Amino acid sequence: MTSNFLEIKGLHKRFGNIAALNNVSLNVSKGEVIFVIGPSGCGKSTLLRAVNWLTPPDKGEVWLEGELVGSSSSKLTIKQSQLLNGFRARMGMVFQQFNVWPHLNVLENVVRAQLVVAKRKRADAESTALKILDQVGLQNKIDEWPDHLSGGQKQRLAIARALAMDPTLMLLDEPTSALDPELIGEVLTVLKRLVNNGMTMLIVTHELGFASEFGDRLLFMDGGEVIEEGPPKKILTMPKTKRLKMFLEKLDVTSFKKEEKL
Amino acid sequence: MLEYQIFFDYTPMLLLGFWLTIKIVVCAIALGIPLGLFLALGRRSKFLIVSFLSTSFIEVFRNTPFIIQVFLFYYVLPFYGLKLSAEYVGVLALAAFGGAYFAEIIRAGIDAVPKGQLESARAIGMTDWQAMRNVILPQTLSIVIPPLTNQTLTLIKESAILSTITVHELTMTGLMVQGETFRPFEVFIMVALLYWALNETVATLMRKFEQSIKKKRNPTSDSNSSSTVEKSEGTK
Repeated sequence: MTSNFLEIKGLHKRFGNIAALNNVSLNVSKGEVIFVIGPSGCGKSTLLRAVNWLTPPDKGEVWLEGELVGSSSSKLTIKQSQLLNGFRARMGMVFQQFNVWPHLNVLENVVRAQLVVAKRKRADAESTALKILDQVGLQNKIDEWPDHLSGGQKQRLAIARALAMDPTLMLLDEPTSALDPELIGEVLTVLKRLVNNGMTMLIVTHELGFASEFGDRLLFMDGGEVIEEGPPKKILTMPKTKRLKMFLEKLDVTSFKKEEKL
Repeated sequence: MLEYQIFFDYTPMLLLGFWLTIKIVVCAIALGIPLGLFLALGRRSKFLIVSFLSTSFIEVFRNTPFIIQVFLFYYVLPFYGLKLSAEYVGVLALAAFGGAYFAEIIRAGIDAVPKGQLESARAIGMTDWQAMRNVILPQTLSIVIPPLTNQTLTLIKESAILSTITVHELTMTGLMVQGETFRPFEVFIMVALLYWALNETVATLMRKFEQSIKKKRNPTSDSNSSSTVEKSEGTK
């Protein structure tokens, strides 16, 4: 299985007594869209953050396109941490809380890492930024400050910032969870376009409808382990394990209750 | 009764002392703020020696009286072959003392920037230093201006202590004039007014600077508070 685009091998991570990752392995092919679901604290965010070594796992390895991103068995040397920064640029990450940079305007949010990390010339960085901001529908906001954007606009800006680095893989950590319901659609539209463009993606989400429509594969995690894995429609309609059944029921119940309140 | 003649006769002399105070304080701040930044970053360095030395420096200079530090610099350094004029000793002592406080202010400012900001910078491929320089420190600036101003005002006032090691700054000059005239009230009123004018100017300028940054970024309220939720997500 060396031809894999992204290989995650035996990741372990503990926070105190809680096992956030317990021997998680995953192979991802190029262009594959993988959704990760699971109850809060199941380790799904930790998995994403371990892939780009933002949360270094206690044990395990991550390989991207045949190159070692990180291994728990070797200490991080200066050379390796330099390489790691290169890998991170190729793995665009989007956070639940957007984490756009409030001291830079919209254009500069997308330009800065291109200058600093990719060492591009400002003119090139700006034209790339304008192109991508156009794709995410922020072309009219380039001089705006992040504090004046809506949540959906901030998240689209965060996606644009990551895309400007020409990533080969996108890691999205609950990209719509912090958004008001009416703002989720605009972010999903941008993500759908990424799917259609063949971007390889790892998405942690609670948007089951989105996952079943656009996912190639769905992982259900609980207690730091992958409990079920397979085509989203099959997994969501015919859960094999009790844990997944309970999780889906709970989600259904809460969404039902929400509707009732409305 | 006030003797107005003293105001006229001794103003030039006091202004000379005032000018030296300004020069010393400006030099001390010019050294102290970079020192503070260096110490603040050093304190969070992953190299234990650097963080230990930075922390020790901060703790020593924060927790001993400034006048004792001045005496140590002035009387002890010559024993080790370092003979500096009182003015230079004054600048060094003020810079070290101020630097220790500046360091803690800057560190608090860095800590006040939401954790997600550093994470997003590292996740996009920036090194720790690039993230500091491009994402964290610029956001720290607007947070630390008010406490840095406070500390600067304190430093200006503390510079009066340099009169004890024969630096002819404003307070020393005041003491000399009072020795000649035996009119302490007139003299020290003038000295106090000059310190006040200097501090008021510094405070006003810093306030203008702070406002200009805030105006530029149009900060409303939410961008910082939103990331606290993310923090709990990240630590589970």
